[in-house]
Amino acid sequence: MTNVSLFSLEAVYVLTGVTLLIFALMTFADSTNPRRVGSGCFWLTLGVVFMFGGVAPHWLTGLLVLFLVALDGFGKVGRGRVETDPVKQAEHARRLGDRVFIPVLAIPIATFAFALVFRRFGMDANRGALVGLGFGGLAAMFVCLKLTRSDARALMNEGRRLNEAMGAVNILPQLLASLGVIFTAAGVGSVIAQGIQRIIPADNLFLLVLANCLGMALFTSFVGNTFAAFPVIATGVLVPLIVKPFGVNPAMAAIITLTAGSSGTLMSPMAANYNIVPAALLEMRDQYGVIKFQIPYALTLWSFHVLLLWLLIKIS
Amino acid sequence: MNIQDLLKLAGVAIIVVGLALRLRTTLVVVVAALVTGLVAGLPLFSHEGFFQHLPYLTKPGQTGVINTLGKAFADNRLMTLFIITLPAIGLAERYGLQERSANLIRKIRAATVGRLLIIYQLFRALHGLMGIRIYGHPSFVRPLIFPMSAGAAQSSDTDSIEKIKAANAAAENYGFFYPQNLSPVQAGILLVYGVMQGIGLTVSVWDLVKYSIPIVVASIIFAVAQFSWLDRALGKMAEAKR
Repeated sequence: MTNVSLFSLEAVYVLTGVTLLIFALMTFADSTNPRRVGSGCFWLTLGVVFMFGGVAPHWLTGLLVLFLVALDGFGKVGRGRVETDPVKQAEHARRLGDRVFIPVLAIPIATFAFALVFRRFGMDANRGALVGLGFGGLAAMFVCLKLTRSDARALMNEGRRLNEAMGAVNILPQLLASLGVIFTAAGVGSVIAQGIQRIIPADNLFLLVLANCLGMALFTSFVGNTFAAFPVIATGVLVPLIVKPFGVNPAMAAIITLTAGSSGTLMSPMAANYNIVPAALLEMRDQYGVIKFQIPYALTLWSFHVLLLWLLIKIS
Repeated sequence: MNIQDLLKLAGVAIIVVGLALRLRTTLVVVVAALVTGLVAGLPLFSHEGFFQHLPYLTKPGQTGVINTLGKAFADNRLMTLFIITLPAIGLAERYGLQERSANLIRKIRAATVGRLLIIYQLFRALHGLMGIRIYGHPSFVRPLIFPMSAGAAQSSDTDSIEKIKAANAAAENYGFFYPQNLSPVQAGILLVYGVMQGIGLTVSVWDLVKYSIPIVVASIIFAVAQFSWLDRALGKMAEAKR
């Protein structure tokens, strides 16, 4: 633990871990939550992984991850009931006015400020942004307490409410990134890459870019989620067939590939939250009405992704 | 390509089938990871410490799937850092964050549905730039944008209203999906950063933001085109009624 200084990423992880531990203790005590033990264990375990993930042996962290997923898989993670008082809330809103935006704005401001300071002192600006996010969150807590004259208990309880509303899906990006690492270790990417190479000549950049963006959009529309598709396409197509052989800027290729997938989201009933739920909320006659409206836009923007990626590689 | 190679795709199949059946996403992803590792011949645990003495669970010289999972999960904690921002955002919500945002939306003065949706989409892009994630369908579109666009509509027959509803939801999706990548600490950017790191390529989150700018600009231009076309279509529908 020698390299844990105050403004390090590890320090921010510990702070986040502490926040999660507090959430967990409150959940254990929440009698309105029918699954409070399972939920409490979930957030407690995640908190422990946050605090000690940097020093704990990997097998132990791995087993804790399996425990987290088992809790969620068996439906043991749930949320409590929250009582909201719309009248009181409207009254608060009137009293604070637009000052309520101050704590929320503190977070992006801290993120950028830390990144700039890190860059100024020759340190990693990626790390700076993340450390800034952590301390921005902490600073926002203090600003918010000062502004609303609430106590720390109310603060943490509101954080817990939001966290539980999102639920176990919170750890999904972390799990998907891990899936990508295991796919790489197992050589899944090279199997997919070999399959594509049977159809497309390795030197035909345009067809490879087309296959990459098409694969991303199709996979996304099957699973309804760009995040689940990205690790597969990145390890199987983008990196082995485009980035490495053509010496392409990986940041440019990766982010364009990610949003090429968003066209798949716009056209897929699997992305229910974005396409089906809104149709229901708006009481539309046709539950696929949103998707139908989005199809021409999605196809146009997808084609733009293909052309942009191809052109940016050509001119660089 | 031999059979063992094809078996490695089992994990990809598990993801597609599991998510299509709407099984618990976290479980599907981890089962896919474990199965992929095992069919590729990786052991469950690394050959070290007391695991060396356990039969079947380890293979000398190979890293275990569970060790890889643990290391990757710990390395990618950065993707879940946003949890530390939740107390402040939650308390601000309790003190009227949504109400004040709604207030800003109500101040939009637009002559037509299409123009209203263009402004709304830009408003959502601003959220993305500030790194604020909101699921806007229930909080903005249904209670505010829909009544406002119904009010601005040239005609109010059922076909026009159905089109307006679809366009409302689309404006929210367009304004959410693409501009969120303008913030270096949003989930999408961090996922790409982490996955590329896992493949062995270090990218800068700032470069990811930079290269998403042309996409965001295009996403807005195409939306302006579609919403202007919507205005024209609604005008024609109103004329046909007359």
